[in-house]
Amino acid sequence: MNNLRTVGKSEIRVDAWDKVNGSAKYVADFQVPNLKHGVVLRSSQHHARITSIDTREALQIPGVIAIVTAKDIPGEAIYGPIIADRSPLANDRVRFMGEPIAIIVADTVEIAHQARKVIEVIYQPLPAVFDPEQALQTNAPAIHPDGNLLSHFHVENGDIETGFNAADLILEESFSVPRIYPGYLETEASLALWDEEGKLTVWFSSQKPFADRHTISQVLGMPEDDIRVRMAVIGGAFGGKEDSNMAVLAALAAWKSRCAVKIVNTREESMLAHPKRHPARLYYKVGVKNDGVITALQARVYMDTGAYASYGPAVAQLLTETIPGPYHIPNVSADTYVAYTNSPISGAMRGFGSPQTNFAYESLMDMLANRLGMDAVEIRRKNIWKPGDRNFTRVIVNQAEALEEMLNRAAQSIEELKKIPPAPGKQSGVGLALAVQTMGLGRGVPDDSTHQLEWLPNGKVLVRVGAPDLGQGLNTVAAQMAAEALGIDYSQIETALVDTAISPDGGVTCASRMTYLTGNAVQMAAQKLIDSLVYEASRLLGIPREKLRYQDGTLIRTDQEGANPISAADITGRLAEEDKQIIASGTFSFPYGPEIPDHLPIGMPHVKFCLAAMVARVEIDPELGIIEPTHIVSINDLGKVVNPILAEGQIEGGIAMGLGYGLTEEMCLKDNHQWVSRLTEYLFQTTQDMPRNMETIMLEYPESTGPYGVKGIAEIATVPEAAAIANAVFAATGIRVHRIPIRREELAK
Amino acid sequence: MEAFDFLVPANLQHLATLLQTPGRKLIAGGTDLIPSLRQAHSLPAQIIDISRLRELRFIREQNRIVHIGALTSFRDVQNSRILNETAPALVQAAGQIGSPMIRTRGTLGGNIANASPAADSLPALLIMDASVTMSSQNGLRTLRLCEFLLDPGKTDIHPDEILTDIFFEKLPSNCATSFVKIGPRRGMTIAIVNAAALVGLDSDGRINQARLSIGAVAPTALRCRRTEQALIGNLPSEKLWESISSLIQEEISPINDIRGTSQYRRRAAFILSKRALNAATQSLQTRMQA
Amino acid sequence: MKKIRVTLTVNGHTHLFETDPNRTLLEVLREDIGLTGVKEGCSEGECGACTVIMNDEPINSCLVLIGQADNSNIETIEGLAKDGKPHPLQKAFVELGAVQCGFCTPGMIMASKALLDRDPHPDEEQIREALSGNICRCTGYKKIIEAVQSAAEEMSHE
Repeated sequence: MNNLRTVGKSEIRVDAWDKVNGSAKYVADFQVPNLKHGVVLRSSQHHARITSIDTREALQIPGVIAIVTAKDIPGEAIYGPIIADRSPLANDRVRFMGEPIAIIVADTVEIAHQARKVIEVIYQPLPAVFDPEQALQTNAPAIHPDGNLLSHFHVENGDIETGFNAADLILEESFSVPRIYPGYLETEASLALWDEEGKLTVWFSSQKPFADRHTISQVLGMPEDDIRVRMAVIGGAFGGKEDSNMAVLAALAAWKSRCAVKIVNTREESMLAHPKRHPARLYYKVGVKNDGVITALQARVYMDTGAYASYGPAVAQLLTETIPGPYHIPNVSADTYVAYTNSPISGAMRGFGSPQTNFAYESLMDMLANRLGMDAVEIRRKNIWKPGDRNFTRVIVNQAEALEEMLNRAAQSIEELKKIPPAPGKQSGVGLALAVQTMGLGRGVPDDSTHQLEWLPNGKVLVRVGAPDLGQGLNTVAAQMAAEALGIDYSQIETALVDTAISPDGGVTCASRMTYLTGNAVQMAAQKLIDSLVYEASRLLGIPREKLRYQDGTLIRTDQEGANPISAADITGRLAEEDKQIIASGTFSFPYGPEIPDHLPIGMPHVKFCLAAMVARVEIDPELGIIEPTHIVSINDLGKVVNPILAEGQIEGGIAMGLGYGLTEEMCLKDNHQWVSRLTEYLFQTTQDMPRNMETIMLEYPESTGPYGVKGIAEIATVPEAAAIANAVFAATGIRVHRIPIRREELAK
Repeated sequence: MEAFDFLVPANLQHLATLLQTPGRKLIAGGTDLIPSLRQAHSLPAQIIDISRLRELRFIREQNRIVHIGALTSFRDVQNSRILNETAPALVQAAGQIGSPMIRTRGTLGGNIANASPAADSLPALLIMDASVTMSSQNGLRTLRLCEFLLDPGKTDIHPDEILTDIFFEKLPSNCATSFVKIGPRRGMTIAIVNAAALVGLDSDGRINQARLSIGAVAPTALRCRRTEQALIGNLPSEKLWESISSLIQEEISPINDIRGTSQYRRRAAFILSKRALNAATQSLQTRMQA
Repeated sequence: MKKIRVTLTVNGHTHLFETDPNRTLLEVLREDIGLTGVKEGCSEGECGACTVIMNDEPINSCLVLIGQADNSNIETIEGLAKDGKPHPLQKAFVELGAVQCGFCTPGMIMASKALLDRDPHPDEEQIREALSGNICRCTGYKKIIEAVQSAAEEMSHE
């Protein structure tokens, strides 16, 4: 691991200059000749039958080119990433406010808006339900024909009855976590272009272009080869752009109108229509001995997946696996229920189930400590995973030894922060939370990622990353790992945005796995690329392959002393004259070996874990219940830090998102039965809200299957904040909150 | 946005003429109007841009009266030497409105005319006993600000009038003011409750002037006059502030909304009043000792 | 709807055009002048992505009707670099990791420039306040603030 040339360095992001000079192009920035504009008519009802949609008046408006409704859909109307339960345009039923009903294509956005106003939709309102437990009652309004229970997962290990019998103390507590909006600054946008040959090109800010292509082909009844999905620069995603709806709508608009059509969501549409983090209620019953060792855990979790399934079942699976946290609990029984409601859709969002359970189990750890008169660090020491331990899904935990160092560092931070006296009139408290996140998609789910390298005529190497860079810097770390594997300078690497016509299929950028998968695939591709270079050089120069040694972008002749090294450009330049290129791909599959337990449904278990610890100090205004986080210490094990500044940036951003979860963000139904859907009501953390002291500690316990030891960081960075704050609040006030965002009313004395 | 015609008056007289035709809407800073135009189902046929009427952008002091032109931006308020000296509570309020970009465009006149119950400038102006002047083809009309504010979004302005001037009398040197606000977050936030207080002390250190204005707890920002009366003649103390708690509660009528419950607002109204009164008193006592 | 005539000087170039008045400065900058570096994030002044400098002051361009910008001087991100040389803010944002997805970046840099133009030596609290109207969902703001401090430092030596 020593003497790495670029991995481990804070190289400049590949697209940083474009982004600071305004030349980086996001989908909404694109202009093409004869571009038309699409706007979406969305349901104003939470739950209703549609008896008629009258577009006649709208179609008369000059400048309106086409209006698409469900009856126009040429192919498979129903789709979904896991369960096919959704039509891109509502047919005879709407199930959530904001559900797309029609697309209006016009010469300008204004004309499309005018047309949208005069489309008459006759709704027959149906009773609606917005709570998952209520939705599962027998008399609840039925949202889908097979009932409101979308999934139920049950996972157990050991015997909870024995476990509870062995306990000296049993606590039963419930917790509630809100609906969170991913809140990327770039709202969803898609531009679809229908060309004269009847082929479709779709630009979309997406986490999964190949999957989008597949869905578009299904819905339009077109071969995938006639569809090209291309990425632009993406302005953040966090899971919310793991949804094909916008691409499908733009494709339908282009198909119907035979034009190029751009659709850009307003902020309000983005909030209503794109997937959010599952709200949930978590019921935990835990048994513990007086010495702090937990003997049993029984949990029931109810998740609100909203009107359509999206990734609900997968989120539920990951959530279930994290129910006990990073702790060795011999007897566990977990049940997770995913319910349909008439809420906007919940789906993939950073954490994918782990932020929800983290708030529950880390609040509970402190509650147990408090009841037993134990220190918060000590009770965790008694229960954290040790090397060789398995999760309750019976998977060996990787680098469990990192937890001990994390706790030690956390304990140190806690002592230091406790010494700081509160400002006059305030109370202060320090809180701790550990966290676990899983990597990958789970056993049995295809989890392969292919990336490609091309040696260019000028000697540089182009990395065709097969999965999108969401703004987190995937292309940058891919470039670094390619440079490292080839022994050449980072400046010699170019990267390309994903284009399904040219790029290999790298899979979905999600699940804290892309750096890991890409790095491995790139290493494989690099080796093949080098072999090809040697082969071609041998052929062109008439030198036996055994006499050529590759070194740092050059070839050394071992049969002639003092011979000049042959540069890669010498070879690739000559190949270009022959119209040939050196290209190599590598496909890496997330490692699920035969030793992985297979007693759980497909998608479970996950087999690699990320671990973290967080310490938070808050100051509280006791009269008003206002919480001010003053210090956050985030301790993470990344396995190998490929790019320190990039990794720190992700962690710091994760802290902001996690603090929002704990303190200010909630998308809920207001008294007037409208959803919170504007940034005046959905409150991100601003510069003023952030703690003035943020410390990021990055540990490196190498993961043997990761390139250079790499693990993921993207999601775990935003997991422990809410619990750390809640525990700090308890330390400051003696008040235990069971819901987030924390309400001031609960704290104001 | 829906279509509208855009009219730009060259000066106040021209504006007065334009206002003779009903149904037109004025745009100044646009920070309230443009979001509401986007949400609205129908727009006025004409929008009149007053943002360039230089004659309404001024801050001056004349014969102990401070006049602020209606088109004065919050940034102008923050930077004004006159207002920093004569209306520090208003300067404090200005600095807590929206974001720096909002403060560049948002105007005092707009904030008043928009008459949100939570508007931050209003409590700071009400404790100054500020008045407003409206201008129309029929001439000028002056009204006390407390009489001008009628209901959420509603003022006494006539359809053909424009707010031109906000003015107040300079405070005697034995008075000090303070403004406090809390929102659901710290940056760029709408008030859950805001409050402004004015305290005057006589040579014995007893309160001889007390004004308290609280916002976001009633249909309009208001003066708590009974509370004020109860403070007069007393020595300022923590006990005195505590004693006005029930009076404050009688004077306010907060509602539940997305930012807070009425119960929380009642609590916050009391706490912020205490803090504003205390801060004003402390700054006055410091000044008087110097 | 009667069209209006507008004169706008943007990044040193003067544009004269006729347009519908129900458009904002943001729309005109992006669509008519092609300055897509100015971003649309919320259309109601709550995210700061559309921040530009108008007549030397930072504003949300989504909250200015185009007619209100007549005869104004506008600076956008595209005009920052001079003769191919990046502005110290651009350099600092790149070098200190203050750019992730980049969508908030133009607005963030323009708001920062407006601050440094008026106050060359801001402290951390002043920087936080100046950027309190610019939302970033990726960075947690720490490296952005460090970049502004670094640029201020560099500019004070120029």
